[in-house]
Amino acid sequence: MMVNSAMRSFEEQWQRRSIGLIGTAGPIQSLQEQAMRRFVNLGLPSARDESWRNTSLRQLAASHFGDALDVPCAPRLEPIEISWLAASDIPTIIMVNGYPQLAWLDRSVLNGVSISTIKDIAKTRPGYLINLLEPLSDLEQRRWLLLNSALFVDGLHLKITAKINTPVLIIHVSSGNARDGVNAPISNYPRVIIESAKNSSATVIEHHVGASQQSVFSNSVSHLDVEDNAKIQHYRIFSTDANTSHIDSLDIRLGRDSHCQQFTMILGGGLVRTNLEAELNQPGAALENYSLLVGRASRHIDCVNIVRHNARNTTSKQTARAVASDESRVIINSKVVVEVGAQHSESQQSCRGLLLSPKAEIDTRPQLEIHTDEVKCAHGATTGRLDPDMLFYMLSRGLDRNTAQSLLVYAFLGDVLTNMSVVGVRSAIENVLIGQLPNSQLLREFQ
Amino acid sequence: MLKISKLSARIGDKSILNGIDLAVNAGEVHAIMGPNGSGKSTLAQVLAGRQEYEVTAGSVSFAGQDLLALSTEDRARAGLFLGFQYPVEIPGVNNVYLLKAALNAKRKAVGESEVDAYEFLTLIKQKMKLMQMSESFLTRGVNEGFSGGEKKRNEILQMLVLEPKLSILDETDSGLDIDALKIVSLGVNSLRSQNRAIILVTHYQRLLDYIVPDYVHVLSGGRILKSGDKSLALELERRGYDWVRESAAA
Repeated sequence: MMVNSAMRSFEEQWQRRSIGLIGTAGPIQSLQEQAMRRFVNLGLPSARDESWRNTSLRQLAASHFGDALDVPCAPRLEPIEISWLAASDIPTIIMVNGYPQLAWLDRSVLNGVSISTIKDIAKTRPGYLINLLEPLSDLEQRRWLLLNSALFVDGLHLKITAKINTPVLIIHVSSGNARDGVNAPISNYPRVIIESAKNSSATVIEHHVGASQQSVFSNSVSHLDVEDNAKIQHYRIFSTDANTSHIDSLDIRLGRDSHCQQFTMILGGGLVRTNLEAELNQPGAALENYSLLVGRASRHIDCVNIVRHNARNTTSKQTARAVASDESRVIINSKVVVEVGAQHSESQQSCRGLLLSPKAEIDTRPQLEIHTDEVKCAHGATTGRLDPDMLFYMLSRGLDRNTAQSLLVYAFLGDVLTNMSVVGVRSAIENVLIGQLPNSQLLREFQ
Repeated sequence: MLKISKLSARIGDKSILNGIDLAVNAGEVHAIMGPNGSGKSTLAQVLAGRQEYEVTAGSVSFAGQDLLALSTEDRARAGLFLGFQYPVEIPGVNNVYLLKAALNAKRKAVGESEVDAYEFLTLIKQKMKLMQMSESFLTRGVNEGFSGGEKKRNEILQMLVLEPKLSILDETDSGLDIDALKIVSLGVNSLRSQNRAIILVTHYQRLLDYIVPDYVHVLSGGRILKSGDKSLALELERRGYDWVRESAAA
């Protein structure tokens, strides 16, 4: 095991928890201890680990992270000042460095959702929580879940019990000073559990923002438990600063005839690694995943999806669109596994990358693992530059090159954007997205 | 309006145009006919500024400017329009966006202000009516899922909105049934005037029954072998292209 600065700081953070300087989630302490031990044994992933081949954690390893404070510097953060998705009619929960600020929540606007902290769940339903955290896994794509499981102190639990029409917004803020000093790098471990009860439906948006001058390592984990016949639309949107490194893991479990539409949008951050593992556990379960990955400057995006069809008649559709400009890099690994007994399952994977500069790089790798007969699985991946025929056509109509290129880039992302059915969310995302693309001022004229 | 002198062009190592001479004056309609592979489409694309073709010799002046020195977009803004043989589908870019951007680019180039939204829609709707296109085409992606005939009508719609000085229509008649051919011809004829010119690139004389040309040229092997009036087209229909090639060789 390589001892590095980051690893030392994670161990120090664990020490502070084990001697009670920082609270832990109580009854699950022994599980947390086990998670920490296993993470320490494994060490940070390196280029030798298959799913980390293209993403170097050298810079992260060299940093020393202090524990983030559980309250922000300012007395109260106003949603609309920190998230461009916030609106007065959208119920909003703010999490500061992973700590839910429920005192700020106007509960009257949230019918059909019960909200609690994970600390409370640890006391009232420890069995449920342990069930979610177990089994701890040493698999490389689950390694960072170990660290989060070890070091999270609190988190958010949402139980959706009805059909809810307004989206629920969770703003994750990385904020404030480290306990160790004003400008020292901090790390945080946000944990969110969303349970969709039978027949319920809802839209939940997790928006990761940065309100911090110092460099931040965010190791977030979310669970989505979609029970029979429930319908959920889940967004995870990353718009942090370039000084944020983010490793996010999303676990989705789908029950009978349940439906999950998941959107992953990377519009910010220095290094962003997203993991998605979906288990289609009962017949009729359906997952749609849309990823919109925007690389610019020296941003590094690494997106790993694993979708397992564990029951017959399950369907999954993954659509990823990546654009990379400047010196950015985008990696997409998406894998579909159809297990024994999952006959009549259908899966589609479409990964497309668009390179906008000679120094940018996009790697796409769709994979299929089929262990049964009678399934329909399609996959396709392409990466290239703008289509010269389309470009010539537009130029021949008098459009200048920059406008033509911008319109084509935007059109390329349409496969993801047009599937976003919450109008307000879509227009807010489009607005920010345009700002991330070359010649944004030209595109604004077409909005 | 357009003067082409000794124009030669190639793509890669393959020479396609081998010394074209052609003069087109305002008010004229010229038809360029010729067998497959004779260089008709290449000529159209070279004039519009397709960069894949390399001009190896000759010159082209258009409305007093050196056309070959202009970028593709500047040629369009100067009033040159290419109607594509195979209009490209651009999913995700609205037809109406493209039309508006194209019109504004042209207006900007001649020092006019951007078109007013209401005025623009009125104009478009009027032209669409002429081309018998449903308004639902406006919000669809450019040529996305259009039939062959719809694509060609969309090309003519763009031409009508942009009102170019010189329109080069590359096999606009191919893939059209007789009704669509009449609609397209109606659109093209509505733009004929003393200060505009049209070049029709076509295989068949059929189109020329509807858009009657002033001049007909036969292109073969990258050269204009014969020029004449509209009766030449009829003669070609009767005798084929070999006759022209043989008499040119003699």
